[in-house]
Amino acid sequence: MTTEDLKGYRGAAKELLLRENARVWGDVTIATNQGEFKGLILPRSETADDQHIVLKLSTGYNVGLHVSTINKIEEIGYRKAHYKIPEKIFPPDPEKRNVTLLGTGGTIASRLDYRTGAVIPAFSPGELYGAVPELVDICNLKTYKLYGEFSENIGPAHWMGMAQRIAEEITAGADGIVIGHGTDTMHHSAAALTFMVQNTPVPVIIVGSQRSSDRPSSDAALNLINACYAAAYGEIAEVLVCMFGPTSDQYDLLHRGTRVRKMHSSYRSTFRTIGERPMARIAKEEYIPMRTPYRKRGGDASQMKIMPVFDERVSIVYYYPNMKPDIIDSLVDNGYKGIIIAGTGLGHVNKPLYPSLKKAYEAGVHIYMTVQTLWGYVQMFVYDTGRDIMDLGVVPLDNMLPEVAYVKLGWTLGQTQDRDEVKKIMTTPIADEITAREPIDGYLVMQGGLPEVDYYFKSYKR
Amino acid sequence: MNNNFDPAAHKMKSGLEVHHQILTEGKLFCRCPAGLYTNKHDAEILRHMRPTLSELGEYDGTALMEFKTKKEIIYLLDYDTVCTYEMDDTPPFPINQEAVDIAIEIALMLNCKIVSEIHIARKQYLDGSIPAGFQRTTIIGVDGWVPYKDRKIHIVQLALEEDACREISDIGHVVTFKTDRLSMPLIEVVTAPEMVTPNEVAEVGRIIGRLLRSTGKVRRGLGSVRQDVNVSIEGGTRVEIKGVPRIPLFPALVYNEAYRQHNLLKIKDFLTTTIGSIEDLKADEFDLQAIASKVSHRLIKKSIEKRDAKLRGVVFRNLKGLLRMTTQPGLTFAHELSERVRVIACLDQLPNLLHTEDVSVAGLEPKDQQLLAKAMNLNKNDTAIIAWGSEQDVKTAIQEIILRVQEAFGGVPNETRQAKSNGLTDFERILPGADRMYPDTDSPPTAITLERIEKIRAQLSRPPWELEKKYTELGIAKHQAEILALHPQRAVVEAVLAKNAIDPKLVVWTMIDLGKHLQRQEFPIQLLEASHWEKVFALIAEKKIYREGLDLLLTFVAAHPEEDPEDYLAAQNITPLLGDNLQKKIEKIAAPNRNLKLFDDSNWPKVLMGIVMGEIRGRAAGRDIWDIVKNQTR
Ligand SMILES: [Zn+2]
Repeated sequence: MTTEDLKGYRGAAKELLLRENARVWGDVTIATNQGEFKGLILPRSETADDQHIVLKLSTGYNVGLHVSTINKIEEIGYRKAHYKIPEKIFPPDPEKRNVTLLGTGGTIASRLDYRTGAVIPAFSPGELYGAVPELVDICNLKTYKLYGEFSENIGPAHWMGMAQRIAEEITAGADGIVIGHGTDTMHHSAAALTFMVQNTPVPVIIVGSQRSSDRPSSDAALNLINACYAAAYGEIAEVLVCMFGPTSDQYDLLHRGTRVRKMHSSYRSTFRTIGERPMARIAKEEYIPMRTPYRKRGGDASQMKIMPVFDERVSIVYYYPNMKPDIIDSLVDNGYKGIIIAGTGLGHVNKPLYPSLKKAYEAGVHIYMTVQTLWGYVQMFVYDTGRDIMDLGVVPLDNMLPEVAYVKLGWTLGQTQDRDEVKKIMTTPIADEITAREPIDGYLVMQGGLPEVDYYFKSYKR
Repeated sequence: MNNNFDPAAHKMKSGLEVHHQILTEGKLFCRCPAGLYTNKHDAEILRHMRPTLSELGEYDGTALMEFKTKKEIIYLLDYDTVCTYEMDDTPPFPINQEAVDIAIEIALMLNCKIVSEIHIARKQYLDGSIPAGFQRTTIIGVDGWVPYKDRKIHIVQLALEEDACREISDIGHVVTFKTDRLSMPLIEVVTAPEMVTPNEVAEVGRIIGRLLRSTGKVRRGLGSVRQDVNVSIEGGTRVEIKGVPRIPLFPALVYNEAYRQHNLLKIKDFLTTTIGSIEDLKADEFDLQAIASKVSHRLIKKSIEKRDAKLRGVVFRNLKGLLRMTTQPGLTFAHELSERVRVIACLDQLPNLLHTEDVSVAGLEPKDQQLLAKAMNLNKNDTAIIAWGSEQDVKTAIQEIILRVQEAFGGVPNETRQAKSNGLTDFERILPGADRMYPDTDSPPTAITLERIEKIRAQLSRPPWELEKKYTELGIAKHQAEILALHPQRAVVEAVLAKNAIDPKLVVWTMIDLGKHLQRQEFPIQLLEASHWEKVFALIAEKKIYREGLDLLLTFVAAHPEEDPEDYLAAQNITPLLGDNLQKKIEKIAAPNRNLKLFDDSNWPKVLMGIVMGEIRGRAAGRDIWDIVKNQTR
């Protein structure tokens, strides 16, 4: 018996299978003290307990049988399943623009392994064409699998790798780049790529899905279609996130990489531009810019600035009442070079932290203030406390989002450690990470139960 | 039944899937309340369903069909009854354990084997009836049985699953659903296809229904039960008739489906003898736009003028007669085509097609027939069909017509059908394959301990048919025994009967007959709890109330469930008049009335009885009162 034959089984369940000479994919009859069960033994999920054998019944349902109830297992057949995503030849069309899709590991296009429940990513152009045939009508697609990571595992090394690869593809003549990405840290990557890939002549569109494409109600296909369209034909040549606007299947929004944030753990319309309007909406090949100015497609590729650098010794401190100074001290003691504070209100922390902040500053740590309210500006002149904190060397970052500030500080420290130089880079916006003004519709968090909101909800299918 | 067709002679087999909502406070995978229906909605969302690849890398038949229809799906959302889980914007919460307990209880009642770990599966539905595109469902028990006549009908499995949306409308390319019912827990009982006559299907349906109701843990009322009936005959195919609300409809539906399959097999024979195999089928498609404006048929004219409809047609060479062949009673093969076109091409204004074999007034006039014959090179043995609508829809329609005729070479297509109240069925969709089941990666497996199963087994009530037998042996009439066996308060009755203090007939009369009588007068008798009934029966046993006073007592208890009924009896002066007290009371009432002038003195006892009853109704048995009254002299 091989490990494949016992896939996922441990402890008592594994012993039972060995004793009964039964294996995964065996077609079996199991006698239990509850009666007889017939089905196919399935691999066990690694995280599940070691007390049950999983059986697929002929009706397609799975059930688990407790080892203590099982008297006998008899194998009457063996049916191993092989999985493969169908490949269809993605037909090239010289009339269409060329888009490169770089995969980092999200499940933008995937198919469920129907027997085990595992997700098989669809990735090659042929697989993608099989899953989303509409892509053929949009562009010629070239795909590369850069990484196979869940988005929580994506970090600076991946950002730098992506930046380099994007540059190569653009130099090689791609009309647009699409990056498939898990959604959890999509906005971190979007910010990082904005800083690392500057002056791109073509759009760089980051896309993912909140419901993987193995579900009929998935947002994946629409996101992918719109992302490819935005990459191939969109006018805005910047790093943009392309995800659902409303929860309804209506349109995607394109968000600038430095102002976008995942705002709900599971909603389709989770990505929102904070403190500004999104850049564009896109639906059924209709691309409607929503704000100007933006960087137009068609710039000189030689003007592109690729800066894949990052100093990992940066942290975010999310302030809470009664925070103790040792939180700051321990970062300094551990050699951190940069701290982004997500402060309360206009950008505050309590007095007991002051000596520690002073010490950190004197130790050469770069400390920046953002707001945990997400919307609005740091304003440290309004109260004495703010002025006191600035005197300690803490620099306000206006309305830069805390995560964006984290990414930018890491990127900046990758270039220089000079205090003034760092401060200059941090406070000079590259792509709206700090905006000069908040437009009148920059802060929109509607509240249910109000007649006007109820009317909107009832009337607009959002 | 309209002719001599005998399903049993064609080895008909039929099975049932009974879906019954269960009585829980909350829904199955979220914390919304269950059982609240509403007509208001506070928001709408719009979704589409895309088919997903099957294991073999192909889209399954249903999936593709639903995608062809390209429906916009609108969900109406009500603030009180749904949350973001039902919208498919929040992952499932852990499964409702109250529902699992009820499902285990029912599975045990059905003699099923209980699984020791439940795995949530996703069952795909692309018709939009579930926003996620799949229903979460899980097996609780397998391989059970219910007794029927002298045999067992096997129960394949008992599943616990979430209910789907209620469809409000399906017009053209827009289907609208209400979501209040979505995700309410229900159980699905699947029988083996072991019923062999239309009546057996109904009888087994009743047995299962009674068994479920006897637990007292299933919902009642409109929409709480839906049944799917599957039918096949020898040489036919298993066809599922979906969502039959009432058992009395079963026999006609089963009979008509068996008859339909029989006729589809005849059509298969016709096709093979007339033209041979499917490769020999000649279907010529025509774009009839050039002659569209010349067609005089009113409906086509109107569609072309008002909605810019396109006209297309298809000729099947040498198949004259095909479209007039019978399928269901009173329907022809043309109806099968029309149904496909309605569902798949979304041409839902009937008639959605016309053909050259229709010689009725509604059909094509000779002038149109000639026009079309010329445009499509129609020979005398050919048959032709035309359809009209938007360019895309009408193309789909013609494609679908050809597909359906091709399928006819195979006899009975694999499909699900919709029950109509006249016992006939309409096409619903292609029967989904086993590939539409796959594991729910959002939910962990959950163990059901042996301890838990045994605890539920120990409290299991006996099946209704056993209870009925027991009750009739106690002298209770059969029709009352049947009701009592399903009565939520039957435990109280059994306890009272065990004490042997009251006549069983009186007990049953009080709870069932009097209860129902008062309920009809809108007294909320059904809300009385066990403690109320125990008190009522204690009062009867202690002779503190007579049968004659029970209606007053019950209505009081129903209206004042918190108060002590004994106080009420005293206050209302309806405590029983025992022994001499009755005699004395009647004499006292009689005394001032002895001189009443009567037209006929022989009426005196009856008149007095009326007066006495007016004063002491309910305080003594009527018979005892009469015995005293009739001896009262003038
Ligand atoms: Zn809910």
